[in-house]
Amino acid sequence: MENLENLKDLWKNQEDSKIRYTQDDISQMVQKKSSSIVKWILIISLLEFILPNLLFVFTDFDATKQFYEQYGLSNSMMIYSAIHLIVIVGFIYVFYKNYKNISSESTVKNLLGNILKTRRTVKNYIYYNLTIMGIIGINIFYSVYSSTEFQTTLAEGTSMLKIWVISIILLSLALFIFWVFYRIIYGFFLKKLKKNYAALSHQGEL
Amino acid sequence: MTKELEQKFAKELEQHQNIIHKVCRSYTNNEAAHKDLFQEITIQLWKAYPKFRGESKFSTWMYRVAFNTAISLFRKSKRNVETTQIYDNLKELEYHDYDDSGDKQLKLLYEAIYSLNDIEKALALMYLEDKSYKEISKTLGISEVNARVKMNRTKTKLKNILNP
Repeated sequence: MENLENLKDLWKNQEDSKIRYTQDDISQMVQKKSSSIVKWILIISLLEFILPNLLFVFTDFDATKQFYEQYGLSNSMMIYSAIHLIVIVGFIYVFYKNYKNISSESTVKNLLGNILKTRRTVKNYIYYNLTIMGIIGINIFYSVYSSTEFQTTLAEGTSMLKIWVISIILLSLALFIFWVFYRIIYGFFLKKLKKNYAALSHQGEL
Repeated sequence: MTKELEQKFAKELEQHQNIIHKVCRSYTNNEAAHKDLFQEITIQLWKAYPKFRGESKFSTWMYRVAFNTAISLFRKSKRNVETTQIYDNLKELEYHDYDDSGDKQLKLLYEAIYSLNDIEKALALMYLEDKSYKEISKTLGISEVNARVKMNRTKTKLKNILNP
């Protein structure tokens, strides 16, 4: 490592950077807005918390209520809504707690770990949403398909199995699209952080 | 935050700005990206400044925030050229160029550091700054043993890049 030792002198004796800032420049800089990855993660995460629930705002409440009543879904939907509300509050609380732990003064590993932990909360929230959407979807299919209203509209000889298979495929496809979309956002922001975190762990190769 | 605090911060940062420039030059490969990173580090330092109690030296504290920003918080803009491109340019230079002048050697050294990964860059910088393993382990958040292992790998890698 002899050569590298010599480089230390070269490093220490290097001239001042050609780019120099005055105190005024620095004062102006601190007024500017941060464009850090954490700020983007916060914005994206909040959108991810809000967007799935925003769908309900654009729903025709009367028509939905009537639909639920028609197929005997009112009670189960009420239970789902109550669970959903509790779960959302729980997720937001955990997210906020993790987010507060992100500090630029931590060790590099802790900072990376805390950012990833914060995002993991959102990841679990997305997975929870996909699961609940799947459960509700199947519940609705079941209630509708087993109702007499639906049965009477069916043409003679129509296979219920075929209808179920198509419904499940369509539902899975919709959930898969959500999942892919989410993975793209997730990967876009976290690829670098995950790589760096792995490099700092014992197993991580440099 | 008061104007007085801002002035105190600007004065300290102006005096110690070379540390940040070294980090910026190691983590970016053009002036625009260097300036973007400098600005983000400055904002992060300013945000953390009211909590800075002087338990560690200002420069040590700056190092930590600067590395954290460069490694975790900074989103590289499209203006940054791909690492491989720089590494190819580096390979094109003949080894004897290395001894020509201090400036050229320094340029090569920075290019070699730039070709390392984010964590290795931090290790290389702290090695060149003669930081102790205790400080390296405290900055990165890894054990001293792990710091030594990673430092040796980084030094070997850096040496291989500089002496192909």
